[in-house]
Amino acid sequence: MTTDGARAFGAAVEVETLKLRRATAARVAGVAVVVGCCGLSGAFLAVARAGGDSTMAAKVAPLVHGTGWAAYLGVVAQILSVAVLLAVGLVTSWSFGREFVDGTWGSLVAIPTPPGTTAAAKLVVLAVWGLGLCLATVALAVPVGLVVGLGPPDGAALGGAARVVVVGALTVLLGLPFAWVSSAQRGYLPGIAALLAVVVVTQLVTVAGAGGWFPYAAPGLWAGMGGQTAADAVTGLQLALAVPVAVLGGVATVRWWQRAEVR
Amino acid sequence: MTAGPPGVRRGETLLRTSAVARAFGDEVAVDGVDLTVHAGEVHALVGLNGAGKTTLMRLALGMLRPDRGRARLRVVPGPAVDARTAPAATWAQVGHLIETPFAYAELTVTETIRCAARLRGLDRHEAATAGERVIADLALEHWARRRVRTLSLGNRQRVGLACAVVHRPRLLILDEPTNGLDPAGVVRVRRHLLEAVEQGAGVLLSSHHLDELARVADRITVLHGGRVVGGLPPDGTDLERQLFAMLLAADGDAAGGAAGAPGAAGVGVARRDGGGR
Repeated sequence: MTTDGARAFGAAVEVETLKLRRATAARVAGVAVVVGCCGLSGAFLAVARAGGDSTMAAKVAPLVHGTGWAAYLGVVAQILSVAVLLAVGLVTSWSFGREFVDGTWGSLVAIPTPPGTTAAAKLVVLAVWGLGLCLATVALAVPVGLVVGLGPPDGAALGGAARVVVVGALTVLLGLPFAWVSSAQRGYLPGIAALLAVVVVTQLVTVAGAGGWFPYAAPGLWAGMGGQTAADAVTGLQLALAVPVAVLGGVATVRWWQRAEVR
Repeated sequence: MTAGPPGVRRGETLLRTSAVARAFGDEVAVDGVDLTVHAGEVHALVGLNGAGKTTLMRLALGMLRPDRGRARLRVVPGPAVDARTAPAATWAQVGHLIETPFAYAELTVTETIRCAARLRGLDRHEAATAGERVIADLALEHWARRRVRTLSLGNRQRVGLACAVVHRPRLLILDEPTNGLDPAGVVRVRRHLLEAVEQGAGVLLSSHHLDELARVADRITVLHGGRVVGGLPPDGTDLERQLFAMLLAADGDAAGGAAGAPGAAGVGVARRDGGGR
């Protein structure tokens, strides 16, 4: 990247960061992910530890594997794998699609900052925002774990926290390709529709037993959504498929922005 | 207001479209238009809705690929460049407002204008200074800290104009810039544009308000059915009557199989006395 290119990218990152900071959708989604994941996980663990034969206890039991911090953070990772995909996918769809719906797309063309640079800046800002949500979730999960009576974090907590961050980071990457759908279809609703379709397909593929090789299912399975056996069966290669999916989606989005006409 | 770097002199051609054409499916939007904009002039486009004004402006800005012909820009010293492949240095000297303004509901007016300045190549300090200047120039101080979502249509348009001119471009392409503005706003914008032209900028402008065009334009070109059908004298009388006569004649020629008015060279008709603004 040339000096001018780097300067333009820096300016675009600055502008997109401000737009995301001011966006109600990003704030609501962020709070929902961080507070929702930790709150639900704490509640689920409390129900599971209380035992009993309630319907809730029966529903929660398949999510909780092991005991203590490992079990609790495993639940956090499972919920995060869905919540972050929805949050990042939705906000990504909105961030790209709103430029067309609001009519601001034309103002991002024929200026010194090329539209492809703006698209790349959006993706970077969204990825950092998503990763920040994952780290904030871990940060909040610790006091919530103490509140539900898990005691001081142990060695298993460190491993569990690392798994939460890895699951979250992979899922953030998987949320970025919806930018291409929103761009190519010039609106956020197509991106959100594609996101919902992927969530449904993920469920079907997982039920069919091929989830490990489906990039959108692998992180959740590894977190324990299909049980401990299914989690142990997920390989590093299967998890790593999220990276080429994100790269392909990102490159396709940037190229679309570079070439698209303003109509 | 100054108008960019030295090296492009008053009267030199900043924008030239040569037989440029574009269709959308069966609909021909622009059909072989030759047009120029020189440094230090306002070249106005008039025409009915669907005449091709916005499409022509988008072709001039490289936002659309022409089916035929080309649009070339020369706003910095050196050879003219094709609008579709123009470098950042060229766009740093171009400002535009086509249909929807650069206006994000969640940002304040000041933030919006600073963002526009940053994306147009100004550093943070320059963006802050230029933002304050253009807010004062366009009388937006009262709304400077307000979110754009709270503004009226006219004030959003004024914010869009501020974003288009904040980097003091040498070439301005403005599609109905006074849309939604009250009379005071129109006067402010007119004054701003004429100051820019005085400093050497070139302006391509479209509007449906003929009296407004008569006050600012040096040349007025009439577009109809995607073609140039003639020009109007900015200092002439009863422009509306002349416009409709020209459009009727063009329709008659088209019906007779001879599209375009004889002698319509696509360069508009120039103001005779250079005054009256």
